[in-house]
Amino acid sequence: MPLFWRVCLINGAVFLLGTLALALSPATVSAQPLLSELVVLLLGLTVIVLLNGALLRTVLRPLDRLTAVTGQIDLRHPGLRLDEDGSGPARPLVRGFNAMLERLELERSTSTARALRAQEAERQRIAQELHDEVGQSLTAVLLGLRHAMDSAPEPVRAELDELRGTTRASLEEVRRIAQRLRPGDLTDLGLISALAGLARATSARNGPRVRRRLPTSVPDLPSATELVIYRVAQEALTNVVRHARAESVDLGLTLSDGRLVLRVVDDGVGIPRGAMGAGIQGMLERARMVGGVLDVRAREDRRGGSGTEVRLSLPLPRRAEP
Amino acid sequence: MTVRVLLADDHTLVRSGVRRILEAEPGLEVVAEASDGAEAVELTRSVRPDLAVLDVSMPRLTGLQAAREISRRVPGVRTLILSMHDNEQYFFAALKAGASGYVLKSAADEDLVEACHAAMRGEPFLYAGVTSTLVGDFLERMRRGDSAPRAVLTPREEEVIKLIAEGHTSRQIAAELVISHKTVERHRANILTKLGMRDRTEMTRYAIRAGLVEP
Ligand SMILES: Nc1ncnc2c1ncn2[C@@H]1O[C@H](COP(=O)(O)OP(=O)(O)OP(=O)(O)O)[C@@H](O)[C@H]1O
Ligand SMILES: [Mg+2]
Repeated sequence: MPLFWRVCLINGAVFLLGTLALALSPATVSAQPLLSELVVLLLGLTVIVLLNGALLRTVLRPLDRLTAVTGQIDLRHPGLRLDEDGSGPARPLVRGFNAMLERLELERSTSTARALRAQEAERQRIAQELHDEVGQSLTAVLLGLRHAMDSAPEPVRAELDELRGTTRASLEEVRRIAQRLRPGDLTDLGLISALAGLARATSARNGPRVRRRLPTSVPDLPSATELVIYRVAQEALTNVVRHARAESVDLGLTLSDGRLVLRVVDDGVGIPRGAMGAGIQGMLERARMVGGVLDVRAREDRRGGSGTEVRLSLPLPRRAEP
Repeated sequence: MTVRVLLADDHTLVRSGVRRILEAEPGLEVVAEASDGAEAVELTRSVRPDLAVLDVSMPRLTGLQAAREISRRVPGVRTLILSMHDNEQYFFAALKAGASGYVLKSAADEDLVEACHAAMRGEPFLYAGVTSTLVGDFLERMRRGDSAPRAVLTPREEEVIKLIAEGHTSRQIAAELVISHKTVERHRANILTKLGMRDRTEMTRYAIRAGLVEP
């Protein structure tokens, strides 16, 4: 029954009760009400108000709960729903609300996925152009300078040599930018090599020692999934270097029960509860995009050590039955 | 005897730059140019150069795929990979594909000629970054006691190995220790031999054992 009719009905029933009480009981009200009559009236009124309140409360309480929940809704943490069964008369409203949340979350996750994909595609395009155009031209300049040096008179030679140094530095910079934008090794050499390279690069940047626990091969994965795994590992390792003050990190990839699990575990200070920035946000969204689950938590081991664990678990694509 | 070189790069300017560098060197002659990997394999079969210099990223077949094809189909031809990527994973992928060496484009002006000669001598050409990775890893394992020192290094070699591990180039090491570039190169070769990384097979084996690359 719609909420409006329910409220009308409750009110009507209570008034009816009052009217009946007035009509059937011997109570009367004089034109000049006596004090005793006023007391009875007041009592009757109180009973009616209390009864009405109690009845309306059962109808309206779910609405208050709903209001409270709407305040807590945060699309970055999806999955919050109202209890439909316990909401009695407000049930249609709650059901509608839950359905709306469902649609919002779906819409948000598809639009985030779209944005992330567009971003990766754009990065790839820029990286490609940097690599193919700028990088190659700089290489040609570098080689040309070298050649020119061999036949140049002494004073010009020193100058050319200096230019060569500058060109070399620019070329290395271009390569670094292109690699950050788009891991070329991922497409050229595959996921395992790319993760190994990431581990190496992290250790090399004066970072903590990265221990690799990588399998020798993984099943064929869609390239979008490989990129997500790579980006999560990259962000997790960057966080370790920037925040953890760790001595060593384990970078592991394992296959079990039809799931692929990436773990980045450090022995640093541990992540504060509820810490959330663009980095962790990005990891969560990327994981969701490929149907994975991401978990970031501080950990406490038996020897009182601390640290942080980032765990990404992905379902493996089901192999077509032979 | 001149070494006949095939050159493959999809970028014309780079190709002509490389060509000029190689031709300026007595004993090297560029006999063919290809603009993609598949063409490089074709030309290698018909022209039979002594050495093929392959850009790592080319259309149709990448440099690594082309190197693999060449070492399978025309085994007598040595190959060198020319690459933008300063990443030891590419280097080991190149060795596994049968290449004799890996030259960074950002160091090609200095290293390329040397790498060609090394390839023709049958030695792997290691760019500075890879040597320091391998040697650094070796030192680390020795400190942890994972691998017993396989050979006794001379004090001079100890000095050189530390500088290599810190990523210094031969030229910088020469300046630091006040010795000639040639001497540094000799120490480097000796050290690698003593560590069991003399040729490409040994080096790959070491890298796999050390977990630097997948088998
Ligand atoms: N491995 C870690 N150890 C300790 N603290 C961590 C670790 N990873 C993250 N944190 C904490 O969590 C916070 C949020 O991390 P997040 O990656 O989301 O953002 P950020 O690294 O600060 O910035 P960015 O958006 O550039 O990544 C960090 O500021 C840091 O305090
Ligand atoms: Mg971060």
